[in-house]
Amino acid sequence: MTSSKFGRAVWRGAVAAALTTSLVAQPVLAQSVDVSKWSPEYVRSIAGTEEFDTVGHCNSVVPTDYEGRLTFWYQGIFEGDPEVMRQNYRDFFAAFRATYPGIQLEEQGITYNELLDKFRTALLGNAAPMAIRLQILGGTEFAAKGYLEPLGPEDVGYAREDFWPGAMKAVTWKGTTYGIPTNNETMAFIWNADIFERAGLDPDTAPATWDDVVAYSKKIKDELGIAGYGMVARQNAGNTPYRFMPQMWAYGGGVFDEADENPTYEEIRVNSPESKQALQASYDMYVRDQSVPISALTNTQADNQAPFIAGQLAMVISHPSEYARMLELAAQATGSDKEVADKVVESMRYGLIPTGPTGRRAVVFGGSNIHILKPEYVDGGTVDEQAAKALICMWTSPEWSLKLAYSASNPGNLGGFKTKWMKERLDNIRFLDVTTSMLVDGIPFPALPEAPEIMNIIIPDMLQNALTGAMTVDEAAENAAREVEALMGGGGL
Amino acid sequence: MTAATSSTENTIKTKRQRNTLVSQMWESRIDYAYVLPAIIVMLIVIAYPVYYTIELSFFETPPGLQLRDKSWVGLDNYTIILNSGVFWKVTWNTVIWTLASTFFAFALGLGAALSLHRAFIGRGVMRAILLIPWVVSAVAASYVWRWLYHSDFGVFGAALVQLGWLERPPNFIDSVETVLPSLIVVNVWREFSFAMIMLMAGLQTVPDQLLNAARVDGANTWQRFWHVTFPHLRGVSTVTVLLLAVANFNGFIIPWIMTSGGPANSSHIWITHIYELAFGRQRWGVASAYSVLLFLILMTLGYFYVRALTRGDSTRQGA
Amino acid sequence: MTDATLTSRPARRAARKPIDGWRWAGRFFLLFMLIFTVLPMAWMFLTSLKSGFAAMQFPPQWWPAEPTLYNYAKLLDPQNSVGQDFLRYFWNSMFVSLTTTILAVVVAVPAAYAFSRFRFPGRNFLFFSVLFRNMFPAVIFLVPLFILMRWLGLVNTHGSLVLTYLTFGLPLAIWLLKGFYDNIPIQLEQAARIDGATRFQAFLFVIMPLSTPGIIATAIYSFIGAWNEYIYAYTFLNRNDQLTLPVGLQRFFAENTTDWPGLMAASFLMSVPVVVLFLVLQRYFVRALTEGAVKH
Repeated sequence: MTSSKFGRAVWRGAVAAALTTSLVAQPVLAQSVDVSKWSPEYVRSIAGTEEFDTVGHCNSVVPTDYEGRLTFWYQGIFEGDPEVMRQNYRDFFAAFRATYPGIQLEEQGITYNELLDKFRTALLGNAAPMAIRLQILGGTEFAAKGYLEPLGPEDVGYAREDFWPGAMKAVTWKGTTYGIPTNNETMAFIWNADIFERAGLDPDTAPATWDDVVAYSKKIKDELGIAGYGMVARQNAGNTPYRFMPQMWAYGGGVFDEADENPTYEEIRVNSPESKQALQASYDMYVRDQSVPISALTNTQADNQAPFIAGQLAMVISHPSEYARMLELAAQATGSDKEVADKVVESMRYGLIPTGPTGRRAVVFGGSNIHILKPEYVDGGTVDEQAAKALICMWTSPEWSLKLAYSASNPGNLGGFKTKWMKERLDNIRFLDVTTSMLVDGIPFPALPEAPEIMNIIIPDMLQNALTGAMTVDEAAENAAREVEALMGGGGL
Repeated sequence: MTAATSSTENTIKTKRQRNTLVSQMWESRIDYAYVLPAIIVMLIVIAYPVYYTIELSFFETPPGLQLRDKSWVGLDNYTIILNSGVFWKVTWNTVIWTLASTFFAFALGLGAALSLHRAFIGRGVMRAILLIPWVVSAVAASYVWRWLYHSDFGVFGAALVQLGWLERPPNFIDSVETVLPSLIVVNVWREFSFAMIMLMAGLQTVPDQLLNAARVDGANTWQRFWHVTFPHLRGVSTVTVLLLAVANFNGFIIPWIMTSGGPANSSHIWITHIYELAFGRQRWGVASAYSVLLFLILMTLGYFYVRALTRGDSTRQGA
Repeated sequence: MTDATLTSRPARRAARKPIDGWRWAGRFFLLFMLIFTVLPMAWMFLTSLKSGFAAMQFPPQWWPAEPTLYNYAKLLDPQNSVGQDFLRYFWNSMFVSLTTTILAVVVAVPAAYAFSRFRFPGRNFLFFSVLFRNMFPAVIFLVPLFILMRWLGLVNTHGSLVLTYLTFGLPLAIWLLKGFYDNIPIQLEQAARIDGATRFQAFLFVIMPLSTPGIIATAIYSFIGAWNEYIYAYTFLNRNDQLTLPVGLQRFFAENTTDWPGLMAASFLMSVPVVVLFLVLQRYFVRALTEGAVKH
């Protein structure tokens, strides 16, 4: 049986070949990222453990010699964003064009603040793009109105389990999935350790609970005369709910039951005692203690950066990109200002968002999703689905969903956490491990078409009513509840 | 004089004396050609949107449905608006905003026009500088003023604190009481030059002989102004005030960019509130009804405006 | 405007005293107005000379400790992406504004002349309706106009802006020019007609040259209006390479940062052309208003 050795070798070779082929051709690995084990150590341990062949995979979804045309809108990267992001976006579009030379891509980057407005206007005039990448808060509205084509990860060869459950919830409307998550992020709590120390607080520990935040803020104001917490309460800009809802959820409140395991959005909770407690905390900081900037009512998070780098603000909630921004600003400082700026950068610390009185920790599960439109609303009347899928396949691949979310967010496709670039990020971007570890505490906004109005208008309104004294805390919360009820009932002013 | 000659021209022009409307229109068809481009442009850009808005005001547009799935609700939208507390607050804001901005812009413009009336060295430069705010983009101006007013880092606040007049920077745009006056200042800053120019032009028509006669008669400066100058400015003033009032009533950029209607709706005027309802809250039906109310007010103002503009016309032409 | 008509010295001396109080009041007033006007612009300029860090200090640096032209260099440098964007927006604004201006003149002049000279049925009604345009606020019409532009196939083109901006400027332009024409004696045209010119020729060769100040005023007004307009440009244009300057300013407000010095520098540069244009031509504008607006 001399052939048996040879035979066995052939057999082994064949099995190996079969296995390799099946590995390559299969959709990207699903169950290998275990969300239940999520922690900074786990994240580190899986980084850099796998390679993915983006081009090969997408070729199996849409062949690379496909010819077509695609119009596409996305939240663009502009002057205010870090260079690495600008470079990654350039690289992506170059890579896409190289992979699919036959697809004529017309992409349009639009600023974060304008995107929703422009998309709505375009839809009214049937002038929308074929595909769009939209922030997570926006999608449900358009799905509910019937503008979006059903679309799920399977359509581009990925598995549902490759994406966060919360993210998938946000793209699902009445049982059908209408988009694919591109990236998800959660914010963390940032403080200036030097200020903490000078005010007599432990410089290396974040305030444990929101009540502590109120107390710390007051102490800093009393001892040092500078603002403690960088509150944000501007109307009509997306930042406010992202910073106030974690507070509300931590206290046990919420707009509906969105913080629960399986929300039904039936019961309005914005005027519950717990929600009122959360609002009271803000009131205490703004009115009673006056320990936050007066301009909180017109501030967005961007307006907090100036005082922070000047050492005039102690605590904010934001992304890891905040650190990068501070580095940039400090680099521009000169003379004696430079010392101050450098000290601030050195003293920056990131930690988990504080819990409520019962130990509950929450943060907004943010991010973006990519959608395809139905042909009748598109400029030109037709949608090139294959071309769209080609782009989407590449964008939501582990490699690109990570690179396109490099400095401020995380890949929507969990496979991205295993790429070598994730390892690189963890090494280069300070504090990334903290914000990443908050992902498990992420709660998505209610997946309702009314959510944008609730979050962008009703909640900031409630804050402003209470903080300006136009209404008492109680009245403001009751008023908000009435508005939400009217809204859910289909109308009202 | 012109009246007589123009009617002669008319008689020379029309060969036949038939008076039917159609034949008159036919006779004048070339005349229409002169105005046709203007009319077409205006029609396109006005007629359809007005029709669209009025129609939409009778429908309900809930956020969960597409616009074309709207449902007829008759006058419900109007009732909702008139019953809403916010509406009356915003109306009050609008009244204050319009009246105060118009008054102060006019007053400052008048003062500037009077001061610049007599020639002095550097008058041309002065006049040119004072015209700048009107020319600068409202968007740019809003950003600058927002920065100037900033409650924590603004220049005004810093100056007042450094001069020792106040302990902490005053709250310009973050307080419900002071936000509207603060915005009015910005609006007046932008607009007074327009009033100034109009009034400067008007001042030039005040006859010197009257002024000198009054001076010889012993009238002092104030009396001369009140009894001679001001009456001559009446026509220009009316037009200016009306133009300012309309512009202020519709002034969107400054309130929107500076405070977006906040804090707590205390800087919302009708036009910004409509915008928020339409684009922020997707309440197209209600926003349209709101717009129709706005039209009605403006048409009233417009009636007076057009009458004022064409009054001089009819008295001169004697038509 | 002098006291030349007063012949007696004592009268002049006596008259001078009460005037002085008012004159000083006038001077103080002008000084106040000067400061009021210039202060924000000066602050805009000073901020644009600072680095991002220096701009955000409290207490603010009154005079930049280290003034830098970095922000301007960035905006005007065709090599870097910010500069490319800015120059493109500048060009777009220039294009839209000039086109609007030219068209506005071309449309308004004949219309104003017709309203002034001709008697045709519906003349008053049409005149009123043209003026009426001024009544309607821009914002309300955003959506229907967008739909209209879509129907006309003009969305995402500069044509949509030009068409819309035309209507902003036309009412005032027509009114201004009409007043101008009303003041030109009709004998001039009659003389031309007697010499054998048609009505149109009389208009073109005799009257139009005389209305130059009015035309310039119309041009200035249209240009400035188009240059500074924000809402419609924001709504009608999506592609980055088409945006005009006011919309481009928004780019300095990214989601998480605000580049104040850059914004101020861009605002300043954006203001320069219109301010210069206006300063150079404002004489004509005032003259046109004087002759066109005021009737007695």
